Amino acid sequence: MRDQSSRTQNSTASRTFSRWIPAIVAPIVIGVGVILVPMQATAAVDLPDKTPAELVQFAAESPAQPLSGTIEQRSELGLPDLSGLTGALGGAGGDGSSAPAAASSADLEQLLSLALGSHTARVYLDGPNARLQVLDPLAERNVYRNADGVWIYDSAEKAATHITVDQAAVEALKAELQTGHADAGAGAEMPTPEAMLDQALARLDESTAVTVGTDALVAGRAAYELVLTPRDSGTLVGQISVAIDGQTGTALAASVTARGADTPAFSIAFTDVTFAAPDPAVFAFTPPAGTAVTEKPIPVPTAAELQQAKAEAGSGDAGSVDSAAKPVLHGTGWTTVVELPAGALGAPASGPLDTVTQPVDGGRVLTTSLVTVLFTSDGRAFAGAVDVATLQAAASAPAASSGR
Amino acid sequence: MRAERRGSTAALFGSELLTLFRRRRTVALLAALALIPVLIGVAIRLAGDAGSGRGPAFLDQITNNGLFVGVTAIIVAIPLFLPLTIGVVAGDTIAGEASHGTLRYLLIAPAGRLRLLAVKYLSAGVFCLAASLTVVVVGTLVGWALFPIGPVTLLSGSTVSVGEGLLRLLGIAAYVCVSLLGLSAIGLFLSTLTTVPVGAMAATAILAVVAQIIGALPQLDWLHPWLFSEHWLGFADLLRDPVQWASFADNALLQAGYILVFGALACGRFLTKDILS
Repeated sequence: MRDQSSRTQNSTASRTFSRWIPAIVAPIVIGVGVILVPMQATAAVDLPDKTPAELVQFAAESPAQPLSGTIEQRSELGLPDLSGLTGALGGAGGDGSSAPAAASSADLEQLLSLALGSHTARVYLDGPNARLQVLDPLAERNVYRNADGVWIYDSAEKAATHITVDQAAVEALKAELQTGHADAGAGAEMPTPEAMLDQALARLDESTAVTVGTDALVAGRAAYELVLTPRDSGTLVGQISVAIDGQTGTALAASVTARGADTPAFSIAFTDVTFAAPDPAVFAFTPPAGTAVTEKPIPVPTAAELQQAKAEAGSGDAGSVDSAAKPVLHGTGWTTVVELPAGALGAPASGPLDTVTQPVDGGRVLTTSLVTVLFTSDGRAFAGAVDVATLQAAASAPAASSGR
Repeated sequence: MRAERRGSTAALFGSELLTLFRRRRTVALLAALALIPVLIGVAIRLAGDAGSGRGPAFLDQITNNGLFVGVTAIIVAIPLFLPLTIGVVAGDTIAGEASHGTLRYLLIAPAGRLRLLAVKYLSAGVFCLAASLTVVVVGTLVGWALFPIGPVTLLSGSTVSVGEGLLRLLGIAAYVCVSLLGLSAIGLFLSTLTTVPVGAMAATAILAVVAQIIGALPQLDWLHPWLFSEHWLGFADLLRDPVQWASFADNALLQAGYILVFGALACGRFLTKDILS
């Protein structure tokens, strides 16, 4: 064989080369595929133009669609290590804090990690039924909402929490939440009365420039982009972008970008979505044998309490309210600073808190790209989408006036 | 002529499988894998429950339901033991024949190098299936013998019958088998590079470990979707309700990419190689 090859070296060389061709072509084919498939997903789309007001109205008036889909939530808030603060963020590594006494703080941790962590989840919606299925590695967290109330199930802890609420109170709370969140444009998912919408838009315009961005494909569907840019340069928030499905008006994606940053600090988006009623079986939940079940009926706030809460939210600065548990708001719009009085934060958080905060003048501070939290030495906490100096100013101002 | 060739390919594949599974080493590898669920089952039977949240996932479920022995064993085996056995088998495919001086004789028959390579890879693939089935099936049998068996509680909190639980276990075995096919292709390629089988075996096993170390470093997360070990623990998606098939598909696509690239590399190397032994 060697003799042969020395005689016909040329043809052997070309034959040798031809035998390596598959090895050269295979990575190229894969590379082209990897580049082409996402390009298809971000192909340009063109929907009929809408003004910002029309788009908000379209989103707000579209009825909630039954759907099932996959959501990817990515957060790069620049937190040192959130898992130190929220405990069982990873899901698989339980820290044994499943005792009933710690259930309340565990619930808070769960909600925090659900809201702020990075994860992939399945979402099922059908009228009053809803389910969020967070796909953790080798574990799963579930939030079921059905006629039975709300179930939170954590497979790693093997614990279930059953939250029951009076339906009327839920409706009232929803209305309250909508007014509370209208500033952030989060009302897009829920149908809003027209008057409330107009009012919210008008108020929004004072603090925020609302524009319609470029249409794009989200989860394979043509979607409008609603862009909210704060007019106030004192806030850390640079831009909020919400993708609204061109057909159903459902919010398909939302992202928050810090001022001066290129990539979103927090984003949540459907990676695939199907607008069809899911199998009713996905909403059913019965706690499996061997599960620690915590029953938690939520007290119903009265209309007066709600009214008071609304009034406080409306007036913005509620420094005169002398309630120990109620958060106090300083400032308005994007630079609003929330003050939690001493003792409002649970004690269990203080230990790991030291590892994620840095000492500053007057306390310790937790800095992320979007939100800054100041824990003062006297136990109060200040939070807002602002820099540390603003928080420190807020922390010193009321102390001087009330002579604490 | 073609039918004859196909027949001889099947015959070659059959004899290759016989040689592989008759080897004492292969049997020993499978026995070592079978030992994992046995150890887990016996240890928990003797020492009792470890308590919630400690040890590998699902470990605390075993005393309630023996069917979880197999799942726990897979979780224990997949980072090291399974890749190690795959490394031994895949790394031996070509280099082993070369070191024994039998490669020449295999190629004297009108077999063709490509056909030999394919047959070698297929038999390594059959070993992947045998290895993952061994862990799951022995785990199920051990669990059946030592612990109560009952309806299986899934990760979502819903419960399915024993029959469906067994089906899902088989699905996990299939998932794990697919997970290991990419590593097998890498082992096959490494095996064509050398005539020292131990080198190819060690290199394959080390690559499996390196891939998982890279997968554990958040600083390299841009690389993670490309690692063949990225979806190795994704079989948990078969224990959800409803079953999430997306990770099965993602995993299969990823492994197919590895098979394509390293299969092509192995072809290029093996077809141009001077066979001296």
